[in-house]
Amino acid sequence: MSDGSGGASLARRLARPGVIGGALALAIGLWVMTEASGYPLGTARRMGPGYFPVLLGGLMAVLGTALALASLGGREAPRGDDERADPRALVAVLAGLAAFALLLPRAGLVPAVAGLVVIAAQGSGQMRPLGAVVLAVVLAALAWAIFRMGLGLPLPAFRL
Amino acid sequence: MDLVGNLALGFQTALSPAALLFCFLGVTLGTLIGVLPGIGAMAAIAMLLPVTYHVPPTEALIMLAGIYYGAQYGGSTASILLRLPGTPQAAVVTLDGYPMAQQGRAGVALFVTTIASFAGSVLGVLLLAGFAPLLARAAMAFQAPEYFALMVLGLMAAALLTQGSPLRGLIMVVAGLTLGTVGTDLQTGSFRFVFGRPELVDGIGLVAMAMGLFGVSEVIANAARGGAPAARRPRWREMIPSRADWRASAPAMLRGSGIGAGFGALPGTGSSIASFVSYAVEKRIARDPSRFGKGAIEGISAPEAANNAAAQTAFIPTLTLGVPGDAVLALMLGALIIHGIIPGPGLIEQQPTLFWGLVASFVLGNLMLLILNLPLIGLWISILRIPYRLLYPAILVFICIGVFSIRNSVFDIWLVLVFGGLGYGMRLLRFEPAPLLLGFILGPLLEQYLRRAMTVSRGDPMIFLERPISAAFLGLAAALLCWSLVSGLRRTRATPEA
Repeated sequence: MSDGSGGASLARRLARPGVIGGALALAIGLWVMTEASGYPLGTARRMGPGYFPVLLGGLMAVLGTALALASLGGREAPRGDDERADPRALVAVLAGLAAFALLLPRAGLVPAVAGLVVIAAQGSGQMRPLGAVVLAVVLAALAWAIFRMGLGLPLPAFRL
Repeated sequence: MDLVGNLALGFQTALSPAALLFCFLGVTLGTLIGVLPGIGAMAAIAMLLPVTYHVPPTEALIMLAGIYYGAQYGGSTASILLRLPGTPQAAVVTLDGYPMAQQGRAGVALFVTTIASFAGSVLGVLLLAGFAPLLARAAMAFQAPEYFALMVLGLMAAALLTQGSPLRGLIMVVAGLTLGTVGTDLQTGSFRFVFGRPELVDGIGLVAMAMGLFGVSEVIANAARGGAPAARRPRWREMIPSRADWRASAPAMLRGSGIGAGFGALPGTGSSIASFVSYAVEKRIARDPSRFGKGAIEGISAPEAANNAAAQTAFIPTLTLGVPGDAVLALMLGALIIHGIIPGPGLIEQQPTLFWGLVASFVLGNLMLLILNLPLIGLWISILRIPYRLLYPAILVFICIGVFSIRNSVFDIWLVLVFGGLGYGMRLLRFEPAPLLLGFILGPLLEQYLRRAMTVSRGDPMIFLERPISAAFLGLAAALLCWSLVSGLRRTRATPEA
């Protein structure tokens, strides 16, 4: 892979995980410093609530810069086990969690579990719609039996 | 009390029906998740943390610990049969275990890894029972500077002794420390990074964060994985190793146990580094290193012994110093704190039933694992064939309800969502979440010790170097940092120039 060589084009070098990750760490570190410097800093002898976070933000910014520069200039070898992003799974799983969070207080346990399962099951790309519905019904019934009946958690099956 | 009396107390605790049940549940579940690729011990323990709110602390800890060391046993099964490591520690076992299976020696490999796991665990438990009380007594003299230095050393080890790059590990630790500052500042009572959300006043929920970072991100990364192909169940007669196998693997198990026990006892280093190091050692001292990777039996017995020994000795720093051996133990430390038990040098004296009951449960749990793993191997092989597409929605349901049940908070489910997305992003950018979690759990303590030490010294940071023990810890941490930066540089230089 030419990505591993020093002669890679600038755009490709900027897309390296180390450069992106380092830049993100730099940005987050700077943000933490700005936010925490709004809290009372105190002195080294009597540290205020802002002292430690400002220190951490600074450290994070320095480490992020170092990582970004090291992987920009160096030859970050492409690793064989690098994962390919799976946007379908990401969107489906997170949307399923969101459905659960939205439905649980409004509609109750059974609709929340069913919503989570039907949406999240799309992430594998190997589920037929009917299969997802059957799985949702089974898991909703199980969740109700285990958590509501078995453990007695305050989770009504349906909320109207 | 003497060791015999203590152990008697421990067995009395661990042999109670409730403790036995939780121990059995823990090791069975541990084996299950160890066998199944795509769910690690970390995610499983995070998922079960809510359950432990309803169980007394000793039983809760016995179960969580059972999951942890049970997963070390189960991890090798899929590595050998299918070249799919069930846990990160078992990745090394694929190197020689899978070739053995291809040569028709899968049965022997499974038998030897189980025996190696048992041998390593036994040595680890012996060290735990023998050394933990001594270490705790020595640590009684520790004050704020020593604790601060020890935690810095533990965090350095967690950040630097991983497979990934040292800079990434350090960034993760600092990120975790920063997340740990969210909420109310303990000394002044003022809010930090709360942004008007009442849910954040007590800080970010440990369980929600761990489930997002480990559980949800693992689910996303594995969602597209199909079911594992069918593997043949080895017959009993095929499992018995030959005399040559025994001769080769017995000393390897001993060496592996020793290496594992050492790495496990270090704060911050987990069992996966132990298994990698012991594999490297076996390969270096072998008369014919070329056999490795082609089914050398030392190549599976040493790392298996190592990761199990490490899993047991990792409890030494966790229970005696309050500094977790690795990220999973950090989570268990969190569970103890939830129950109002503060781990530290006083724990063994103040909670003898907890400590010795746990030690005794390790002995019983390892015996159970021996039975679970050898005769029941067929069961685990058939479980491997459950397609992941059916499994992961169930995992998500369990995560959601579990998180919600802790404090009936929908906000915590949103936290799981956020950390799940973050954790997946970190995976793609090659950041490991374990050091972050360690930083998050140790962060509030680290800050308190830092502030206390600096108040005592009137703002003079030299206090950390004037006290011999804290200076030694910090010196070790600095040496570790230099060593890993230098070896990191050398690795970069070794790659060919363009």
